[in-house]
Amino acid sequence: MKEHALKEQGLVQIALYAALIAALGLIPPVPFLSGIPITAQSLGVMLAGVMLGPLRGFLAVVLLLFVVALGAPLLAGGRGGLAVFVGPTAGFAIGWAFAALATGWVTQQLQRLNLAVAAGIGAFVGGILVLYVFGILGFMLITDNGLLRSTQIMMVYIPGDLVKVVITGLVAQAVYKGLPGAVATRVV
Amino acid sequence: MAGRSPLHRLPAGVKLAALMAISIALYPVDQPLWLLPVLLLTIAGYATLGPGGLQRLTLVKPVLPFLLLILVFQTWTQGWAAGLVMLQRILVMVLLANLVTLTTSMDAMMAAVMPLLRPLRWVGVAPHRIAFAVALLVRFVPVLMALTASLLEAWRARGGGRRQWRLAVPLLINAIRLSDHVAEALAARGGIPNDSTH
Amino acid sequence: MTLLTDPAASFGFSLERVVLERTGQRVLNEVTLEVNQARVGLIGNNGSGKSSLVRLLNGLLKPTSGEVRVNGRNPADGPEAIAGQVGFIFQNPDHQIIFPTVLEEVAFGLRNLGRSRKAAQAEALAFLETQGRADWAQRPVHSLSEGQKQLVCIFAVLVMQPKLIVLDEPFSALDYPTRLHVLNWLHQLPQQLLMISHELDCLDGFDRLIWLDNGQVRGDGEPARILDAYRQASLAGVTL
Repeated sequence: MKEHALKEQGLVQIALYAALIAALGLIPPVPFLSGIPITAQSLGVMLAGVMLGPLRGFLAVVLLLFVVALGAPLLAGGRGGLAVFVGPTAGFAIGWAFAALATGWVTQQLQRLNLAVAAGIGAFVGGILVLYVFGILGFMLITDNGLLRSTQIMMVYIPGDLVKVVITGLVAQAVYKGLPGAVATRVV
Repeated sequence: MAGRSPLHRLPAGVKLAALMAISIALYPVDQPLWLLPVLLLTIAGYATLGPGGLQRLTLVKPVLPFLLLILVFQTWTQGWAAGLVMLQRILVMVLLANLVTLTTSMDAMMAAVMPLLRPLRWVGVAPHRIAFAVALLVRFVPVLMALTASLLEAWRARGGGRRQWRLAVPLLINAIRLSDHVAEALAARGGIPNDSTH
Repeated sequence: MTLLTDPAASFGFSLERVVLERTGQRVLNEVTLEVNQARVGLIGNNGSGKSSLVRLLNGLLKPTSGEVRVNGRNPADGPEAIAGQVGFIFQNPDHQIIFPTVLEEVAFGLRNLGRSRKAAQAEALAFLETQGRADWAQRPVHSLSEGQKQLVCIFAVLVMQPKLIVLDEPFSALDYPTRLHVLNWLHQLPQQLLMISHELDCLDGFDRLIWLDNGQVRGDGEPARILDAYRQASLAGVTL
């Protein structure tokens, strides 16, 4: 017998995954090159895309951001509230949702590759390319800097995010081994 | 922050609208001296919260290193006036946003934005389902945080090194199992009720 | 054995040659039961099919063949249809409590029975008052102890006035005094109880025990006799 999908399973997944990204903020940040800390939270964002697929991954991040905007201090370091969306890194916060979307979509397209590689490529497209487009646009808007200059400033974050791209692939692969049915971007 | 200051009593919708209006109004200002009174007024707003109100200014701390970096950069490339304008504008916006958050309960904020979500019905997302998802999130953050904390503890107890990202694997697996259980428990009580009164 | 005589509480369920397969494995094999006692225990080793059997009663699982009847209804119509009849208490309260505050949690089931939001909250509050726990209404769930959380789970189910309450190892997170307290309290309820437990002393005072082994009923009847047989079999054949 095929287990019937429970009603509301999708909504529960979205909410719990959003909670998981919040919980990942507890893992102490690892200080990386140039003293810029890498938090595990944006790792969670890329994993959301891989684990839940593009749409649900996107919605999980949107839900988290919505609750953060309502005032819950759920971002790493206890940050939260509307300030997240008016500060210089607001573009990154909003970009997270689209990063999850792109990560999930790209990973889904790469069925023939090993999941670690597919998720890694997905995370690169979502977590670096897409995310930085939003991050840099946000920075330009809020600080009145030009494109070139904004890009230069943001570059310091890229090495840390590249590490996360690799980790996303490794984590996705490890979870897939343990619970193959749990990775929505893989057609079993 | 619970309290009875005048700002606490202002309706959430008014505060949100004011925040938005101010952010638009400040955008064209390019004289550092014009922004200074706005900044001082914002700080005065914290003082109206009562005892301890001014201490809440420290909420801005996480953004400071980044702001300094931008200030240095801006001053170096466009002069100190542009640097100061930018610094003050971002400070004002972040402080004001925090002020709204501090003086508005999540419930009040939710009630204020719910009407704005109504058009989402047209794309098949009913507002009461959003409210439900928010409740689930608020409920399960402490559960997953406790799980993360106990995994971290177990990791350290076994002399785990710095590659703590590995904890993401058990955390994910646990969260997936948890979501299956919760979906089951939800179905056992009849699913999410239809609601048009929320 | 005491049968349920109070007509308001009268209830019963039956399984008729029920077979259940999950991911290719036969979890229940031709199980036939007719159950109308007030206090019924379900025992057996891990993997014997206990949890699957109780999930058939509220439609979380559907039988591969055979028929399940709960108070004359067919739970296979889906959990939503039967939620008002069968209350379910899971092992871990953290898997079950859906809302951040106690009042919302207790009111939730009532909303599903068609009450308006306001009516559900008022009714839930009145219910908490009858239980002497009105002060819990606004408490965040995560601030409660494990025992208190399990009570909230039971409240949330009881307020819907089900006829049958299924408990799937409800005590594994509770310490001994809390367990005794909750157990005593459960025995006061008029509802039919079906309880899975590994803690055999929790089944004292029950009317009937059903022992599942490998998807089949291996013993069924008077608790002392069934417990004895189960203990002997466990001692004789401990295979891990």
